[in-house]
Formats: sequence, structure tokens, C-alpha cells
Amino acid sequence: MKIYLINDLQRLQQHLAKNYQFHQVVTNSDGQCHWQQIASETTKPVVHDPLIYEKPQSSAKAFFFTEQEKVLVFNGEFFQETIPTPKPFVLFGVQSCDLTAIHYQDKFFKDDPYYQARRQQCLLVGLDCITPCEHGFCPTVNAGPGVKDGYADIILHPLANKQWLVIEQTNKGAQALKDLVFTETHWHYLTQRDLVLHQCEKEFPDDKYITDGIQKINSDEISSEFWRKLAIQCLGCSGCTTLCPTCSCYGTRAIKQDNNHFSQQRFWDSCLYEGFQREASFNNPSAEAGTRVQRFWQHKFGDEFFTEFSRHGCVGCGRCEQTCPGVIGIHSVMKRLTEERGQKNGQEDTNA
Amino acid sequence: MSTKLINTLCPFCGVGCGINLKLDSNDQLVGVEPQKNHPISQGKLCDKGWSTAYAITSPKRLTQPLKRVNKTFYPISWQEALSTISEELQGVIEQWGSQAVGLISSARATNEDNYVAQKFARAVLKTNNIDHCARICHSPTVAGLKQSLGSGAMTNSAKDIFSSDLILVFGADPTENHSIIGGQIIQAHLQGAQLIVVDPRVTRLAKLANQHMQLKLGSNIALINAMLHVIIEESYFDKTFIKARCDGFEHLAQHVKSITPESVEKLTGVSAQLIRTVAKAYSQAKHAMIFYGMGITQYMSGTNNVISLANLALTCGHIGKAGTGVNPLRGQNNVQGACDMGCLPNVYPGYQSVDDEKAQEKFSQAWHTEVVKAPGLTSLGMSKAALSGNFRALLLFGEDPAVTDPDQNQVKSSLKNLDLLVVAELTLTETAKLADIVLPAASFAEKEGTFTNCERRVQKLNQALAPIGQAKGDWQWLQALAKEMGSEQLNWSNSEEVFNEITSLTPQYQEMNYQKLDDNYGLQWPCTNNSPNGTAILHSTSFPIGKAKLIAVNHSDIDEMPDEDFPLQLTTNRLHFHYGCGSMTRNSPLLERETPAGILFINPIDADNLNISHFSAVSVKSRRGYLETRAILTNDVPLGLVSMPYHFKEAPSNQLTNTAQDPVTKMPELKACAVIVTALAQGKIPKTIEQLQQES
Ligand code: SF4
Ligand code: SF4
Ligand code: SF4
Repeated sequence: MKIYLINDLQRLQQHLAKNYQFHQVVTNSDGQCHWQQIASETTKPVVHDPLIYEKPQSSAKAFFFTEQEKVLVFNGEFFQETIPTPKPFVLFGVQSCDLTAIHYQDKFFKDDPYYQARRQQCLLVGLDCITPCEHGFCPTVNAGPGVKDGYADIILHPLANKQWLVIEQTNKGAQALKDLVFTETHWHYLTQRDLVLHQCEKEFPDDKYITDGIQKINSDEISSEFWRKLAIQCLGCSGCTTLCPTCSCYGTRAIKQDNNHFSQQRFWDSCLYEGFQREASFNNPSAEAGTRVQRFWQHKFGDEFFTEFSRHGCVGCGRCEQTCPGVIGIHSVMKRLTEERGQKNGQEDTNA
Repeated sequence: MSTKLINTLCPFCGVGCGINLKLDSNDQLVGVEPQKNHPISQGKLCDKGWSTAYAITSPKRLTQPLKRVNKTFYPISWQEALSTISEELQGVIEQWGSQAVGLISSARATNEDNYVAQKFARAVLKTNNIDHCARICHSPTVAGLKQSLGSGAMTNSAKDIFSSDLILVFGADPTENHSIIGGQIIQAHLQGAQLIVVDPRVTRLAKLANQHMQLKLGSNIALINAMLHVIIEESYFDKTFIKARCDGFEHLAQHVKSITPESVEKLTGVSAQLIRTVAKAYSQAKHAMIFYGMGITQYMSGTNNVISLANLALTCGHIGKAGTGVNPLRGQNNVQGACDMGCLPNVYPGYQSVDDEKAQEKFSQAWHTEVVKAPGLTSLGMSKAALSGNFRALLLFGEDPAVTDPDQNQVKSSLKNLDLLVVAELTLTETAKLADIVLPAASFAEKEGTFTNCERRVQKLNQALAPIGQAKGDWQWLQALAKEMGSEQLNWSNSEEVFNEITSLTPQYQEMNYQKLDDNYGLQWPCTNNSPNGTAILHSTSFPIGKAKLIAVNHSDIDEMPDEDFPLQLTTNRLHFHYGCGSMTRNSPLLERETPAGILFINPIDADNLNISHFSAVSVKSRRGYLETRAILTNDVPLGLVSMPYHFKEAPSNQLTNTAQDPVTKMPELKACAVIVTALAQGKIPKTIEQLQQES
């Protein structure tokens, strides 16, 4: 794998934009960061925005697992899958938490043709974070601040004097870079990168309550009463599951057309909705808001999921904290958990 | 995956959260995200906000004008629609006079739409028959606060929640109806503010509160008078403030002298001790803020309830400062704006009275036409006049009175009695089904304009999509109709021009313009020469009426108490996942799934006595109507009380509710009536109101 030192990110952006639909995080006039498609290069190269270090409000998840999509059509006679056929595209500057989430979802959607059709067309250019972000705690859940090996096709690491380290990670990445004449550089830059990342890790605020909280979730110390009380504050908005980069619940519905034709749509769902697990008979294993909130956090931090995915379901982005109107995002919940004096409760709710 | 982001406003409630609409490369709306830097929503939305994309991408959207012949609708061209409407309107006016026609606009439409609607009524049709739906939400607020304080709007701002030491939530369920403000109340409470909830039901906030006064339905005034008694007796009141800023204290003190907490224990169901505790806490807090909702307004005594709350705040000097005030939580996203714009029979834009000769002159001049002097009809008045044949043609948009009106049976027959009913809507609502002409309306994402939220913040709505099919914005079709009728009164080329006309005639909006609204996340009125950047807190140095008025009011019983035949009390509530008549939210597969279509909340002990189990089918009957629904057993309602949300057209609670009215505002007593609940045979599926009506 090669390592390059470059002075001008524009060249890389322009090069990639020639071969891929180009997406990058930009800031709008309200100061909100979001993924934005940059017009493709046709005749003259566009001037690209510099990379920004703020986390986009919505993660990159919708690029692969879309908010709503048609999955089947029925034309009166037979069914047809509607597998998307996107052009090759690049996500330029994905931060480590979101890359870890993509890696997680790659496993979850391993056999999902809709997800994979998009995923395979995508070139991931990762971006190392060198300062902590608001609400973020990626180091605690082993998801950053530096891009993990193999989670991106190419890694970008910022150096002083506006220089960049470009680290090839996969063949796809190498292919994407191959026509560019860049100066290869020495491996000792990687040591320097490690130092910077290490320093960044140290700048994160102390979050022992999160590690303690995770332990508690996996002990039998938390009563269902605790969850019940906490869940009074869940307004069932679905904000956490919508913004969480690893949440992947979906629902489906048939949309009828006039002429006996119909299409099957799938859409983002939320396990915090009461109706999520209710059966037609009105039987509902998680009718209690407490059970739903508990299940959400169990999914993020439960040992059983750790075993299945070799990591926590939470990548430490902190988006749930920012968006929860009921003040029960990650930090609030973990603080409440650690304040809770272990009241044993024999009748634990079963873990979902 | 989205490729474009358009910043605009959530179309649902009066909180007015900032949202970004996400469009894909084919300009399809695929999702939304909250605006992180928006002063109110701050990166959060409630479930309605998050489901916005479904509300307007419904496959049921109307795309072209329709004409009804008997029971069938036929598509027609806009030209045909406009000329038909124009001819019929002119025919009615010729034969019956201008008093026989009118307009009901919408608290969901923009200020521009509402302004144009009332101008159309007043300058083109020549009638003051113009109204919108506030009557079933908050007309007592306007009437009550206007008398006490001189202005009927929220006195403070959402951000004041965080500078308050005590938050008193009175007859409101903000986590369900104004969720983002509800969430901020939770947050402030967690950060140390005291929270006190007054509500017959155990609301979400009641579960978190320091104190919950679970009063009996309709005993608000008795409770507040008893609190005032304690505050005055113990000298907890703010002498300096009262002396400098209020009139009527002596009389009020005299009035509540005998109303001890003990004397109202039985009536209110609240212990004297709790009344004393809360009276002390509220009056002694440094900054205390009152929020109230339809648990105050939807009573026969609605106006007096509001006056009573104003008495409480004034006596303690909790007004005109940060973290205080009397703050109505109003329902629809633009109910404030619809009132500001004069979509009321008695006022022009900016609450300038139609009786006032100067105002008549001002608007006659501005509109280059003589405005009528005859008073107009309220929506209820129009519906009564339609029944008696004195009112013959109605234009209506963005409202579904056939579902939401307190007496929908009467509304339906009165609408059917009209010579002409025109309804502009997104989908074929129950009301639209009765129309002669249905016009396809543009959704909030398809138009530009402004909304005014509950804290008087006028905010900019930005267009994200082209109108679907042939859909049009309301002011645009009204303008086209005016032209068709030969009038040149309505003549603008874009919504900014409409807004500029609004600001030239509405004193409170005087210094606003689109650019300034864009630059500041909106501006709060009054925004005048003296306050060019808007006003976050009203009444800080004086009241519009000089001194505020303390007005002694008496408890009055609710109209219909339970008895042997109808032993349970029914109240109404709202669910956080639906909005209004559900015509938008129920398009979301997620929100629609949350409950069966139509539910009744009942205490488990009552349910047990009646042999009712969770989700089982029940019938509910009052003196006015009958319907079937499913029961939800919950301790959130006390013994003897059942509660129904009104979002479901299959089982509309207003089949049952009382039509007794507030004498001042004609607000019906929606919050209390007597019913009998019976279990239906096991396995039986509740019939929808439509099925029931077809059977009878
Ligand atoms: S649980 Fe919260 S912090 Fe963790 S990945 Fe999801 S949104 Fe981010
Ligand atoms: S963001 Fe908070 S209120 Fe919304 S669903 Fe998640 S936990 Fe519940
Ligand atoms: S609180 Fe109101 S304005 Fe805010 S997202 Fe919810 S419905 Fe929309």
C-alpha cells in the first residue's frame, strides 16, 4: 500500500470528480453540515470546497440504505425486483465514526441486494479527525478518531502547512489513484500520524460513565423500573434511530396503483415506535416504552451483539444526544445509569 | 440518498421548528433533518416533524380541479373551475347579497394566503364573513388575554423556559402537542427548574413533575381563585408590581376572600394542602412561567379561565420579564398568523377593529375600494346561517370541519345545504367530498411564504418542490378567481409582494421584510420602529391597555355532568403522533401504525367493571351521538373519566362532545361531556362512523 504526500487537495478532488459522482460534506448558509453532490466535471474543473471537520447532521447511511425505496413492482402479472443501478460515486471525507458504521452495516446488509448494489459502486475516502467533536466519544467505543485500517479505500490525514497524507488502503483505492502523479513518501509519516491521533484521543473529555454504563447494561443490576422511568422521557420521535449511523430497522408497505399494479416500498423504521413490534392481534412484546428504550441500548451495547458483530453497535458519534428532545441520548442515559445504585431485580425483561 | 437540502419550516404545530428537506437527484422529497442552529428546534424534531416527507408525497394527493355531479367527481380545467365558481358566487351575491357568501381560511396556510383570503372576502366579495379554525382551539385566549393584558398572544418566548425557576403547565400536554417545547420543559426541569402540572389526566409531564394537581374537569377557576386566596392572605403577592402596573386588585382580593382552599377541595378534587403548597411555590419563585392549552380554553368558561390565569400571573408580578408570562400553546402551525392577518370576522390585519371608522377608512384607501361595515359571521355563524338558508356559498381551504368541528353532524348538513361549496385541499378529505368544486392545493413544501409561530416569530417558508400536477397555492388561486370575477383588487407577482403589502398595513409587522426574516431565523412581533429586531418579551414596561386588569371571575359548572344514564365523563386529548384531523400525518405508515383507527382511554378499574379488556371493541354513546372504537386501559385517566383523541375520521370524538358554548367566543365545551361506554361482543370489529351512518 502506497503513501503519498500532497500539497494540494484540489488536484485529488478534481481527479476523482472526473471518474466518480462526487459527494463531500459542505456547510450551508445556516452553518449546517451536510453531504452534498458536487456538480461533475465536464468541461472545466470546479473549485472544490476545502474539507471540513464537522460531523454532518445526517451520516452517510442513506447513500446505501435509503430513506424510502421501491423494492418490488407488480405489473399485474409478475413481480420484479427493482435493484438500483447507480453510477460509481465517491464519498470524499467520511469521518471515522461513520466509516465504522458503514463497516458495521456492510455486515448487517451482507445479503441485501439493494444495499450492496449501491455499496459496490462507492469509493470511500476517509478523513482522520484530529480534534474531538461535540458529543463525540469514538475512542471509547474503538471507532476513531483515526480511520481504522481497511474501513476506507483511501485515508486522508491532514498535516501542518496544508499538506495531506494520502494513504492507500484497498485495491479499489489504488485504482482510483493510479493515474495521478503524486510523490510517494516515507513510512515515518505514519508514526507522526499515530502521534497526532493519540494526542487527539487524549483531548476527549473524560467519559468513564460510558464504560461504566456499558458494564451495567451487561450486568443484571438495572431494574426494568429504571428503564420504565427513563422512557417517560422518550417522546417516540424516531430522531435517534434516524440519525444513528448503525440503526437499520425498516418497514415495508404496498403502494397500490389504479390498475391492479402495485409496488412494494421499504422505509426507515424505528424500534422506538410502539407499533414496531405489535402484531395484528394487538399482542406486543414491547408495548412498554421502557422495554423499547432498553432494547435500543441493548442493541448498541449488549454483549450478545458484540459477539455477533465483533464490536459495539454504537460508534460514538453522539448524534442521539444532540437530537433527542426528551434528553435521553447516549450521554444522558449513561450518566443516569451510573447514578443508579444497583438495585437488583430478579424479574429482568428479556433482552431483544 | 439526497443531493439537495432546502431549509424551511415544519408544517405541523405552532412551535415552528426549522427543518431541512432532503431532495434526491430527481427532486423527489426523500427525507428531512432538523436544523441544528435553529433557535427553537436546535437540531431536534418530534415524530410529526420527522415524518414530514410522507405528509406531502402521499399517493392520494389531488392533482387537478374536480367537479362533483351527484356523488361522482369529474376532473375539469382550472379555467372551468374558476368560471364556474365565479358565476355561482356572482349569482348568489346578486340574489342574496354579500352576506350570503363567505370564506374560511386555514391556520395551516401561510400569512400570505390568509392575508389574501381576508382581502378577497372584504375587498372582492364585500363581506366580513371570514374566519378560520381558531374558534375550536384558542379564541378564548384572544378574548381573555385581550381584556386582561391588551394582547392575545404568548407573552414570552420558548427560550425563556431556560431562564425560569418554576414552570406551571396548566391544562396543556406539551410533550404530545408541542413536543419540542415539551422536551425543553423536561430539559429545564432536569436542570433544576421546578415543574408543576395541573391536569385531570396523568400526562407525561405530570409523571415527571414535582407536583401534579389532578383537578376535576372544569374546576380551573375555583382552583386558581383558591390559589389567589392563599397568595393574598399570606401576602405572597407582588405589591410594587400591582401598584404600578395593575388595576382592580382590591376588588379581586375581596372576591377571593372567602374562597379558601378548603372550600374548593370537593369541587376541584385537589387537597387544600397541595393548593397552598403550589400557591406558595408559584408566587415565591423568582421567575415563574405559565404554559396553558386547550384544557383551559375548550370550556364554556374558556374566556374566564384565561382571565383567571392572567390574574394569577399579574398578582405575583410574573409577567414582562424573562422566564415568566402567560403563554398559550396554540395548535396549528400558523394559527397565530391567521389571527394576525385578520382572518376573523371582527378584525382587519393587526387586530384593527372592523367597527372602527378610522380602520375602515385606512383599509378602504389601501385597497382602493369601499369596505363593508356590516359585521361578519364566525364559522359557526356561517354554518348556522347555512342551515336556515341565509348563507349560500362558501370557499374553504386547508380545513376539515366535517371531521374536526365540534358538531360535525350539524356541519355536514349545513355544508350540504349550500348552493356552492368550494374546497381547496391536498387530498379528498371528508369535507372535500361534500364540495361542488374541489381545488388541488399546493403543500407547504411547494410554496413560499411565512408562518408565525406560537411565540410570535414570523419565519420564512421556502419552496422546495414544484407544485404537484396542477396544484396551486391558495393566494394564487384566489387572485385568479378575483380576476375571473372582474376584480383587479388582487394583483401581486410573488409572495414577497404580498408580504410587503402586509407589513405596510399591519403595525406589528411594520419593520419586517423577507431578507430580514431570512437573516434572523425569523423575527418576533411587534417589530416596529421602536423594536426593529422584534420583541422576545411582551409587556416589559407597559401594557397595550396601559395598566393590566385584574378581573374577578366565578367558577361555573360544566354544562353536562355525568348521571345515571351517562355515568362517565368524556374529555378529549391529542396524540403526539397525529395532528389535527390526521389528513397529513396519517399518510405516514409509521404514525398510522401507532394506534388502531380510533381509541378510548379508560381507567383499568372502570374497564374491569364494564368487562372491557385492552384493545377490545367498545361503543361510546352521548346524548348527541354514538360511535365504536377500541379501548386502551391506562391509569393515566382517573376513575370515572374516559378520554378520546380527535384525529380519527373513523371514530371522531366530536360525534359525542357537547355544543354548549362560551358566551363570549362561542367556543364549544369540547373538554367535558357525559357518556356511557359498553363492551361490544368479543371479536367484534368496531364499525367506522361511515358504516354506522349508512346503517341508520
Ligand atoms: S447510539 Fe448514539 S452515539 Fe452511538 S452511534 Fe448511534 S447515534 Fe451515535
Ligand atoms: S430521540 Fe429520544 S425521544 Fe426520540 S425516539 Fe429516540 S429516545 Fe425517544
Ligand atoms: S414540535 Fe411542532 S414544529 Fe416542531 S417538529 Fe414537532 S410538529 Fe413540527
